[in-house]
Amino acid sequence: MTAYLIGIGIAVVAALVGAVLPDRHRLPGAAALSAAACVAVLVGAVHVLVSGHTSGLHTAQVLPLTGVDLSLDPLGALFIATTAGVGLAASWYSVGYGAHATPSRTATAMLPAFLATLLLVPAAASVATFMVAWELMALTSLLALLTDHRRRPETRDAAQWYAAMTHIGAAAILLGLVLLADHAGGQTFATIASHRGRLSVPLSSTVFVLTLIGFASKAGAVPLHVWLPRAHPEAPSPVSALMSGAMVNLGVYGILRVGGVLLGGGQSWWWVVVAALGVVSAFFGAVHAAASTDTKRLLAYSTVDNMGLVLIGVGAAGALAAGGERMLAGLVLLAALFHLVNHALFKGLLFFGAGAVQHATGTRDLDRLGGLARRMPAVTALFGIGALSIGALPGLNGFASEWLLLEGLLHGFASRSAVTDATLLAGVAALAITGGLTATAFVKALGVGFLGQPRSERAGGAREVGPSMLAGMGLLAGGCVVLGVVPGVALPALDRAAAAGFAGGAPTTLRVGLGLDLASLHGAIEPALLVEGLLAGIIVAWGVIRLAPRRAELRRPRRAEAWGCGRELQTARMEITATSFAEPLQRVFADVLRPDRDLEVTHTVESAYVTQAVSYYQRVDDAVERVAYRPVIGAVSWWGRLARRVPNGSVHRYLAFGFAALVLILVVLA
Amino acid sequence: MISGAALDGVELAAGVVLAGAILALWRKDLRSLTSVLALQGIALAALAAILAATGGDVGLGVVAGVVLVTKGLVIPGLLARVVRADPGSRETAPLVNVPASLVAAAGLVILSYLVAGQLTALMPDPLTRLAPLGLATVLVGFFVLVTRRKAVSQIVGLLLVDNGVALLAFLLTAGVPLLVELGTSLDVLLVVVVLQVLATTMRARFGHVDLDQLRELHD
Repeated sequence: MTAYLIGIGIAVVAALVGAVLPDRHRLPGAAALSAAACVAVLVGAVHVLVSGHTSGLHTAQVLPLTGVDLSLDPLGALFIATTAGVGLAASWYSVGYGAHATPSRTATAMLPAFLATLLLVPAAASVATFMVAWELMALTSLLALLTDHRRRPETRDAAQWYAAMTHIGAAAILLGLVLLADHAGGQTFATIASHRGRLSVPLSSTVFVLTLIGFASKAGAVPLHVWLPRAHPEAPSPVSALMSGAMVNLGVYGILRVGGVLLGGGQSWWWVVVAALGVVSAFFGAVHAAASTDTKRLLAYSTVDNMGLVLIGVGAAGALAAGGERMLAGLVLLAALFHLVNHALFKGLLFFGAGAVQHATGTRDLDRLGGLARRMPAVTALFGIGALSIGALPGLNGFASEWLLLEGLLHGFASRSAVTDATLLAGVAALAITGGLTATAFVKALGVGFLGQPRSERAGGAREVGPSMLAGMGLLAGGCVVLGVVPGVALPALDRAAAAGFAGGAPTTLRVGLGLDLASLHGAIEPALLVEGLLAGIIVAWGVIRLAPRRAELRRPRRAEAWGCGRELQTARMEITATSFAEPLQRVFADVLRPDRDLEVTHTVESAYVTQAVSYYQRVDDAVERVAYRPVIGAVSWWGRLARRVPNGSVHRYLAFGFAALVLILVVLA
Repeated sequence: MISGAALDGVELAAGVVLAGAILALWRKDLRSLTSVLALQGIALAALAAILAATGGDVGLGVVAGVVLVTKGLVIPGLLARVVRADPGSRETAPLVNVPASLVAAAGLVILSYLVAGQLTALMPDPLTRLAPLGLATVLVGFFVLVTRRKAVSQIVGLLLVDNGVALLAFLLTAGVPLLVELGTSLDVLLVVVVLQVLATTMRARFGHVDLDQLRELHD
C-alpha cells in the first residue's frame, strides 16, 4: 500500500511537472517521473498479488463529507499492475513520440494525470471515491484525447462522441451505485458487501443492469462501442495505448467488482447477458477489424473484439458460479483475466507500432504504406510480435490465454443448466470465428503495411524511430514473449485475482509449473516445449536446405523481386492493397458491415463501348452507429432546433417566462 | 402593538400603493405613470413614518426620509425628464389591452391573498394581514413589465416591483435596517439612471423606445 501511494503521489507530481516546466525539460521530466510512479505502483500491486493480503486506507482529508477510502485487494491489484506495466512502456515511448515537436503543456500534463486516475480507480473502496476517480479518469482521458485538436478537426468529433458516451455511462453507474449504497445502508464497499443479504432480487438486478450499461460502454461492448473506433485512432499513440490497454479493462473490472463482489454473483441471467454482449462484440469487432484499412481503426475494432472475448469469459464464469460450479468458474475467470492482461500487453505494443509508423510516414492508411520492413526493421519485428500474439500463435501470450479460455469453456459443458451450456457453446463458437478473423486482420496489417514495396513517397522515405520508442515497444513485446513461453509464472497471481472476483471464490486446482496444467481436468500444455520444437524444426529445415546436395541448374542465380512471382517488373501498383485483401471478407459479411459502394463508369462521347474513366468508391461505416445512433442524434438535434425558436430575442417573452414561473409557483403554494 | 388612527393610516398607505400599481396598468399616458410612482413613494414614506412614530424608532424615521427623497421625488423626477423629452408619447398598444389587464390584476390580487394567507397564519397581527397588498403590488408590477412595450413603462414596472418589495418589508419585518434600505434605494436609483440613459440612447439611435422592436439580440 505504501509503495502504491508513493507511486500515485509521484504521478501527480509528474502531471504538475508536465504542466509547469519549460519546454525543453517538460517532456523528459514528466515521462521519467511517470515511469518511476509506474514502477512504485507495480511493486505495491505485485506485492499484494504475491502475498494475497488486502490492505486499506481511510482518510477524511481529501473529499468533503465522505473522505477517501482506498483498498488494494488481489482483484484490483491485477488491474493496477496491468495498467502500471502499460503505463511504464507508454512513459518511455512518449519521450520519443514527442521528440521533434514538443507537445503542448496540456499534452505532457494529461498523460501522467490520466495514468494516475487509471491507477486510482481499481483501488477505490467506496462509492464516492470510486465515482470521483471514475469521472476524473473520464475527464483526463478526454483532455488527453483532445490535445491534437488544432491540427486535426476530426479529433473534436471523436471527443464529442467519447464525452457523450462516457457521460451516459457514468450517469448510469452513479444511479446504480447510489441505489445500492442507499439500500445497503452505507457507501463503503465493505459495508455494501456485508449487507448484500438485505437487497431484494429486483433491486439488485436493477443495480446490476444500470452499472452494466456504464461499464459495458467503457469496455467497448457492442452496441455501446461507438466511441471506441473514433477516439482510439484520434488520440496520440501513448494515450491510445493507455485507453485500449488499460482504460477499457476497467469496464470489466467494474462489472466484476459490482456484480461479482458487491452483489455476490447474484442471478445467472445477469451473466448470460454479459456473455451475450461478449459474443456480439467479439464477432462484430473481429469482422470490422478484418475490413478496416486504417491501422488504428483496425486496432480499435480489435479491442472491441478482444474485450468481447474477456466478457465471454467473465459471463461464463458468472453463470457457472451462479450454478454452483465454483472450480470451473474460477478457471474461466482466470482465463478471462489472463487474456485481459495479455490484451493490454499486445494491444499497447500494436498501438505503439502504429504510432511509430504514423510518426515516420505521417499516415495510418494501410493502402499508402508498405515496404517498411526494410526501412524500419526493429518496428516491423516488434509489431510482428504483437500481431502474432494477437493472432494467438503458439509461443506467444495470446495463444496461452485463448487456449485456457477454450479449455475452460469446453469443460464447462458439465454444468447442469441448459442456458449456461448454450452460453458456453456460443462462447466457443465466437472464440473460433474471431480467431480466424483476427488472424486475417493482422496478416493484412503486417503484410500490406510492412512488407512489399512502398505505396507512397512518404512510406518510401520512412526512417527507423528513436531508441525510446523502441524501448517502450520492446518492454511490452518482452512481456508478450515471457507470458507466451512460460505462462505458468503469472498463474498464481492470476489465480488469486480470479478467486477475489466472485464472493466466496476459491483458488482453482491448477498445478503450478512453467506451462499450463489443469490437473483435475486432464488438460495440459507446455508452450515452452512447443517453442523449443518449433525452433528445432526451423533449425533442422535450415540445415537440410544448406547441407543438401544441389542440382546444377538451381545453383545458377536468377534475380527477381521478392514476392514478385518471378516477374521482371514489379511496381507498387501491382501489389495487393488492404482494401482488396479485405474485399472477399467484406462480401461474405456484407450483412454485418453494410459497406457503402459506388462504381461509376464514364464512357467516351463517341462510343458507349469505350470507357473513359472508372471510379470506385467504398466506405465501411459502423452499421450499429447508423442504425441505432443516427436516428437518436437526429431526434435530439431536431428538438434542439425546435427549442431554439423559443428564445426569439423578445424581452417580453423572456420576462413572461419568469412571470409565468413565479405565478405557477405561487399557485402551487396557495 | 399598533392600533387606532395609526393603523388606519398604515392601511390607507398600503392601499394607496396597490391602487397606484393598478392605476399604472390603467393609464396609457406615460406622464401620469410618473405621478403614480411619486404617489406610491409618498405613501410608502408615510407608512414608514407612521411605523417609526408608533415604535419610537429613529432609524426607521431616517428610512422614511430616504424613501421620500428617492422614491417620492428623485426617481419620478428622473422618469419625468425622460417622458418630457418625448412629449405626447403613450403606451399605445400594450401586449394585453387595458380591460384584460385589469381583470388579470384582479386575479393576481386574489392569488396573493391566497398565498399570503399562509404568511399571515405564521404571526397573525394587523400589519401582517396587510401583506397581500405588498405581494399583489409585486405581481402587478411584474405584469406591467411583461405586457407593456415602451421602455419607460418597463422602468415603471420594475419600480412597482421594488415598491411592492419595500411595502412587504415594512409590513412583515416592522422596518428594514437603515443600511439595507439605503443600499436598495441607491441601487434602484442607479438602475433608473442606467435605464434612463439607455432609453435616451435608444431614441437617439432607433427613433423609438419600443422594446418589442429589439429582436436582434438573440443568439
